[in-house]
Amino acid sequence: MRRRTFLATAAAAGAMTGLGAFRNAARADRPFTFTSWGGALSDAEKAAFTDPFAALKGIEIINASPTETAKIKAMVESGNVEWDLVDVGGRTVWQGGEDGFLEQLDMSKIPNAAALEKGWVSPYGIATSTGASIMAWSSTAFPDGGPQSWAEFWDVKRFPGPRGLYKYFYYNYEAALLAAGVKRDEVFPYTTEKADMALAKVKELKPHVSVWWGAGAQPPQLLSTGELALSSAWSGRMLAAEAEGAPVGHTYKDGIAWANWWVIPKGSPKVDLAHELLNFALSEERQAELLTLKTYGPVLGAATAGADEETKKVLVMTPENIENMLILNEEEANKYSRAYEEQWNQLMLG
Amino acid sequence: MSRHRLETVCLLAPALAFLLLLFVVPLARLFSLAFTDEGGAFATFAILAESEVYRRVMVNTLIVAVAVTLITVVLAWPVAYALSRLKGFWFALALYGVLFPFWISVLVRTFSWMILLERNGPINRLLQGIGVTDQPLALLFNDTGVMIGMVHVLLPYAIMPLYAAMVRIDRRLLLASDGLGAGLFDTFRRVYFPLALPGLLGGATFVFLLSLGFFITPALLGGANAITLSMLIASFVTDRLAWSLAAAGSLVLLVVVLVLLGLAARLLPLDKGMLAR
Repeated sequence: MRRRTFLATAAAAGAMTGLGAFRNAARADRPFTFTSWGGALSDAEKAAFTDPFAALKGIEIINASPTETAKIKAMVESGNVEWDLVDVGGRTVWQGGEDGFLEQLDMSKIPNAAALEKGWVSPYGIATSTGASIMAWSSTAFPDGGPQSWAEFWDVKRFPGPRGLYKYFYYNYEAALLAAGVKRDEVFPYTTEKADMALAKVKELKPHVSVWWGAGAQPPQLLSTGELALSSAWSGRMLAAEAEGAPVGHTYKDGIAWANWWVIPKGSPKVDLAHELLNFALSEERQAELLTLKTYGPVLGAATAGADEETKKVLVMTPENIENMLILNEEEANKYSRAYEEQWNQLMLG
Repeated sequence: MSRHRLETVCLLAPALAFLLLLFVVPLARLFSLAFTDEGGAFATFAILAESEVYRRVMVNTLIVAVAVTLITVVLAWPVAYALSRLKGFWFALALYGVLFPFWISVLVRTFSWMILLERNGPINRLLQGIGVTDQPLALLFNDTGVMIGMVHVLLPYAIMPLYAAMVRIDRRLLLASDGLGAGLFDTFRRVYFPLALPGLLGGATFVFLLSLGFFITPALLGGANAITLSMLIASFVTDRLAWSLAAAGSLVLLVVVLVLLGLAARLLPLDKGMLAR
């Protein structure tokens, strides 16, 4: 028996060593990997950024999805980083900076970042395209159009029907405060008074919220079947659904503008190439390419200049849209999300 | 070592080695994470103990699991009985009726339920058409939806062990009971039910344990309060990035389940259910 145990252990150890060697070889040889959210955003990023970059450099780029913050952390901690550049929600940029699983960006290698608004650049991530959390509705329920502000979204007499909201405090903190009449420039920084006010405001609407959505594909689907009358939603998903003829409508008014942030996992073996692709994506020519795709818009204000009137309506960064929107402060959002997770879950449990 | 023993070891070794390397070792590593928080070895457990959300979600998860188990077992009983009485073509048809949904992915089945249970879905239209209700019923995004979805997914797990127990019952025992003067109810209570009990307990245990870990079905069919423990643990991992907390949460769940099963084994003849020959 003892000999048998020894043999089994030796065989297992051998197998593991073999596996390790195989993994190391795979790491050195694997192509550059870019990971994003899937859906309309991944399509836009592939067409505007990663495909042209792959052609320019004569390399192969893998476009993977979906992105997942916990996976980045796991890869970095296990020392086996398989993603070189990742599109994440803004909160991850600050979470990753604090927890140390993101590469600090070398701004000297990303000269194009200088032309961006200050809010779109941080030490651990840079925004490359913009979208927004907006109000959307079923055009069967509201043929003459839906609410034009969060205050109207909260008005269940004027706009009756089941509602959808995002399943975390994120986006709802901002929407609830705007509904409560807080001015856009006073939503941030977050304070406990404001967070409590937002929670109370959400609690007020909660009986009318039938879906707390977690995936971007849900709002357009639930609105088009009539399960929901109105919902918060991601702009790109609504634009894609409307282009396919779904019976839904939306407004950018009072929307919460945010960006798709690119980060480099700490220890990526292709960190130089990742910087180069980031810089490439921020060039005016590549940013302008997003205009033709009509889902998620450029982050570079100058790139919106060439857009026609139809396209300007769907861009977050055109002056006529952004002046009616709130720009989400991701650093603050990371703080209130962490501090209020327990209270938020208590509210959800009812 | 006797030859018989050697054979047993050889037969078990591949499965044991597989489990040890790919299940026990990772599980131990996961649980060891629970004690590695910066705040001290038991800091994570203190956070859980103080968290009202964790406590309520734990209770909710147990209540849902018990309710789903009861409903599933009640629904499974007549189906298993019918299966045990059918022969030939009709048996094959009924068996495939039970097993076919079992082969379709849980995700696909859950999405199908979403379409069926919608406000404007076929079930609500039918109910309104025949005048049962004039308002669409809220079947989706609440506990009703979760129960329907979970019971549907878990039914085969209760039906198969029950059927296996029922089909082995010697019909002559029932005739003997009848011949000795027992009524229908007495025959059921004193002969048929005790003989089917191991299958019932086996099925109920499967369903209970599986429903404790449910994730996709409550996430898609449930409302705001349909947070199960597995969803909460997943949010510790993916949203809060607090892995030591997730490990502690899983460990507590495992301990609670083991304690419950231990109690159940003392009260009920569980060993007859799981290991019935």
